[in-house]
Amino acid sequence: MDTNQAPVALDSHSNFDDRVSELVRWHFDPRTGSPFWLQRAASLPFDPLTEIRTTSDLLMFPDVSDDLRTVPVQDLIPQGVQHNDFCVYESGGTSGPPKRIVNGAFRIRMLSWAMLRLMEQGVAIPAHWLHLGPSGPHVFGYDCASYARLGNGTFYTVDFDPRWVKKLIAAGQSDVVERYITHLLDQLLEILTSQPIRVMSTTPPLIEAICARPELHALVQKKVATIVWAGTSFSPESLRQVKEYYFPDTNIIGIYGNTLMGVAPQRPAQPEDPSPCVFEPFPEAIRVELINEDGSTVGYGERGRVRVHLVTEEMFLPNVVERDTAVRVAPTHAGAVDGLAEVRTFKTLGEVQLVEGVY
Amino acid sequence: MSTSTVDPIICGRVTRSLDRTELFAVNGQRLADIGVVPQLLAQTALHELRAAADGIPPDPAILVRAAELFCSGEPGGETVAEYQHNTARATGLAIATVRRAARDIMAEVKSLPDATVADLPPSALASGVRIHWVAAGRVFAAVMASNHPAPNASWIQALYHGYSVVVRPGGRDPFTARRLVFSLLEAGLPPHRIAFLPCDHRVGEYLLSQADRGIVYGGDDAVRRWQHSRQVTTRGPGRTKALLDRKCTADIVDHLTLSAAFDGGTRCNNLSTILTSQSPGEVADALAAQLAEVPVAAPSDTIAILPAIDAGRVDGFLRQLDGLRTGLTDHSAALNAGDAFVKLDDGSFLARPLVMSTTDPHHPAVGLELPFPFVVVAPWESSSGAAPLRNSLVANLLTKQETVVEQALREPTIRKVTLGKVLPWSARPGVPHEGNFTQFLLEPKGVVTIAMLRPGDLRCVG
Repeated sequence: MDTNQAPVALDSHSNFDDRVSELVRWHFDPRTGSPFWLQRAASLPFDPLTEIRTTSDLLMFPDVSDDLRTVPVQDLIPQGVQHNDFCVYESGGTSGPPKRIVNGAFRIRMLSWAMLRLMEQGVAIPAHWLHLGPSGPHVFGYDCASYARLGNGTFYTVDFDPRWVKKLIAAGQSDVVERYITHLLDQLLEILTSQPIRVMSTTPPLIEAICARPELHALVQKKVATIVWAGTSFSPESLRQVKEYYFPDTNIIGIYGNTLMGVAPQRPAQPEDPSPCVFEPFPEAIRVELINEDGSTVGYGERGRVRVHLVTEEMFLPNVVERDTAVRVAPTHAGAVDGLAEVRTFKTLGEVQLVEGVY
Repeated sequence: MSTSTVDPIICGRVTRSLDRTELFAVNGQRLADIGVVPQLLAQTALHELRAAADGIPPDPAILVRAAELFCSGEPGGETVAEYQHNTARATGLAIATVRRAARDIMAEVKSLPDATVADLPPSALASGVRIHWVAAGRVFAAVMASNHPAPNASWIQALYHGYSVVVRPGGRDPFTARRLVFSLLEAGLPPHRIAFLPCDHRVGEYLLSQADRGIVYGGDDAVRRWQHSRQVTTRGPGRTKALLDRKCTADIVDHLTLSAAFDGGTRCNNLSTILTSQSPGEVADALAAQLAEVPVAAPSDTIAILPAIDAGRVDGFLRQLDGLRTGLTDHSAALNAGDAFVKLDDGSFLARPLVMSTTDPHHPAVGLELPFPFVVVAPWESSSGAAPLRNSLVANLLTKQETVVEQALREPTIRKVTLGKVLPWSARPGVPHEGNFTQFLLEPKGVVTIAMLRPGDLRCVG
């Protein structure tokens, strides 16, 4: 692998506690911390420098992720970071204006680890890679470009603006959505026809759209050895249809993730896994907890809402409750982090839709 | 009763889906574990169905036998009692409504040959020249609602004409379509002719988009996309109206009461608006008094008429009604002791009839349809003619003014006219419900078996 970062080993929980205590000191030290956290320090009802020692202490922090919609991203950069090589990424923007994060060197470190995971699942090198999915402000495109580079592959792209599609869907313009998807798939066809693509990254709805076009489906089946899916959830039956009916001879690998929490690639299956696709987040810097409504952690095999702690030198985002839910899966071995399966979007109960008519 | 399991049926195979959802009864109890079909499984099913779709109509006796099994057999191992019980608990429909719907389906299936003859013009044009009507495609998609079981007869009509059919059952009533599919298979319908696909609205839309012809039942949101489609016919809110331009005598009140409350107000053609030249308040009072006599009984009770509704939907209706109250007078509140929704012992709510009046003919509640006996009475003047009756599945005209009747007959958004004390759903084979469904399913094809030109005629052609 062509990377200047050594892939990292799995960390134990005690190491993560050490990391929390060390990096909280970093983010709240006036010499090294970011303006974002230093401004908020005074209003915290505790002293982060002395009172935050373990992962569970992170629950004392408020969820500040909503502030990421408006804060100038320069305020997020810790003063202790010496270089100024930061770029900005945005969340999907499904629940209000997008949230922004900054990334310097952290993400490539995480992606190096993730690429090893993808290789364990069968991604071969050189990984000539086609990304048919969000790029621009969305981190998915950046991630896939990095995987291609880490795999000594060439990176091809087809532009896809998911926010525009969401607007069209909200406006009921499904015919325009269909034309847009056709436009994307036409470009896919063009690239696949002449280029040696081995890996394709895309979203579940686009996989569905590919399966609906027989000649394109046949071409993808013939040329693409691995399909990496991410971006939206994929139901268990959909995944079964993809693996057993539409792409029985193709590697199908899922990556769960989002802009704030990073990536959680599918881990190698274990005999006792309750689901054919279990995701595992980057153990070095990220903790994902699946929680009940009262904030307590759910048991193994139970569904809970996703709560994330991101603890890196560049970004500190504790106690972020996401819109997703997932089933908690036991770790593969002692000291490893929990797995997540069957991710779905969280819907608040009592969202009663008013429908006129006898129906 | 224990939770039952409902899974997709694809070309005769019960196919367990990994995607599961729970169906709750109107009292909040868990009723069934449903296997849900995602788009890719729907596509797989459509491929298989379409590959085998030959367009040959099945023996009509199979369909009649299936209707008999549906009414009194044990298709798929389900007894009549289990079916009625599950459907009533899931939809809140009175058990009597569920029973009557089964008889309605049977009657419709038996009348398919007569309906076909009545719906089509004579096919013989001259000796050796005729019209042959054929299915306009191979695959028909039905996206059902849960308000009433009887509309499921529509997709059996598509089978009758040679279509292969995919059915997306109503979200709250997967039982009726499933029982019909099991009945059809048991009666001998070739398995590749039918698929039963419980799925969400998005996949329902997908099925409609992929079928050659389709029908969609539902609220405005469900049908909007298809309103101008040639391939898909819509069954949205009926908004049946009565024009009461005569004295509101007891027999008229009886007629309007039955129009509004039959089957608990759950039919698409139940009366929901009365426009009147009389005093709206007095008409509403008389109707409310009569409707208040409808028994308050749980759906499982054989005398029950009114539907039960779950607590969440009750909240929704109350909020919706609160938003409309300005300018409306509630004529039922005093009679119902304030409770429009009566809490039953099992935790569900019985929707009692609700009659409102307004002095404003343009009030937003005029034309509102709700899934229980709900009527808004508004003023009408001769000078406005039939215009206020627009957008009605049925307009029931209780007037002697010929010009209004003529206007109503000419108005394209009024789909059916009844004159006098005739119930909105009164029909016989050949009476269009919402357009001519047989002609929607079929295409005419010319068949000429005698030579009309002779070789010598060629020079005349050029």
